[in-house]
Amino acid sequence: MTSASEPLPTARPRRDPLLGVAIVAVALVYVRALAFTPIEVRQGAAQKILYIHATSAFIALYVAFALMAIASILYLWLKDEKLDRVAESAAEVGLAFTTVVLLTGPLWGKTIWGAWWTWDARLTATLFLWFIILAYLLLRGAVEERGRRARYSAVLGILASFLVPFIHLSVYLFRTLHPMPILLKPSAPSLPNEMLVTFLFSFAAFTLLFIALLRLRYRMATLRDYVADREQERA
Amino acid sequence: MTPDNTSFAYTAYTLAGIIYLAYVLSLKLRLRRLRERAIAFDASTRPRSDRPEGA
Repeated sequence: MTSASEPLPTARPRRDPLLGVAIVAVALVYVRALAFTPIEVRQGAAQKILYIHATSAFIALYVAFALMAIASILYLWLKDEKLDRVAESAAEVGLAFTTVVLLTGPLWGKTIWGAWWTWDARLTATLFLWFIILAYLLLRGAVEERGRRARYSAVLGILASFLVPFIHLSVYLFRTLHPMPILLKPSAPSLPNEMLVTFLFSFAAFTLLFIALLRLRYRMATLRDYVADREQERA
Repeated sequence: MTPDNTSFAYTAYTLAGIIYLAYVLSLKLRLRRLRERAIAFDASTRPRSDRPEGA
């Protein structure tokens, strides 16, 4: 719990240089991907969706939701409110990234499979995960007592993260239309060099965006708890 | 033959841009509201002698 004697957590710069750098980096990814990266011969320009779809999926699943799970486990062990705020922030930012994945995927699927959506294992599990994270955030809004809210959401966050390895392995375990991994696999990446550079650049830019958004969301959670503490002290 | 599906790529990039920008704006807006609430609360609970003259 933040103490009333602590300084007001509003004394921070209004401009966030990291967020600015991240937005510029993502804009450069757009320019490089759309204007300077070759078009794949069989799939056409739609293949370029890879640079935002796969990188957003990568960061949501293996960074945001992994961080949410680790912070939740550590919260249940250490009962430090900062860890609860980290888990909450990672979940919300991860949800934004997963939304991008679920919106850009069908656009790519329509051009390659001829269908916007198929109920195959990877797509369905990702949609399930999106709903569970949404439920996680709604649960946080519904429980007022802070300790209980943190405990309940930590358990739900850990359970939700069990879907991540399942989503990763679903293309091996089931017959699916979704392509196999192109980078996270035992053999060498199956992308030509120019495309690989764009992909890695995109990954770096979106990681930067994730960190900037996570910091901003964490700051918001800290300020919200500070205001709640002050209001409780006054009441 | 390479299919012409450029519009799908541009739509995907536009949608992603809208989602990320909307999220940034929502965070900034929520942070600003909280900051204003915290400052207003601090001002209302500060002892009268600490307040600037005329406040």
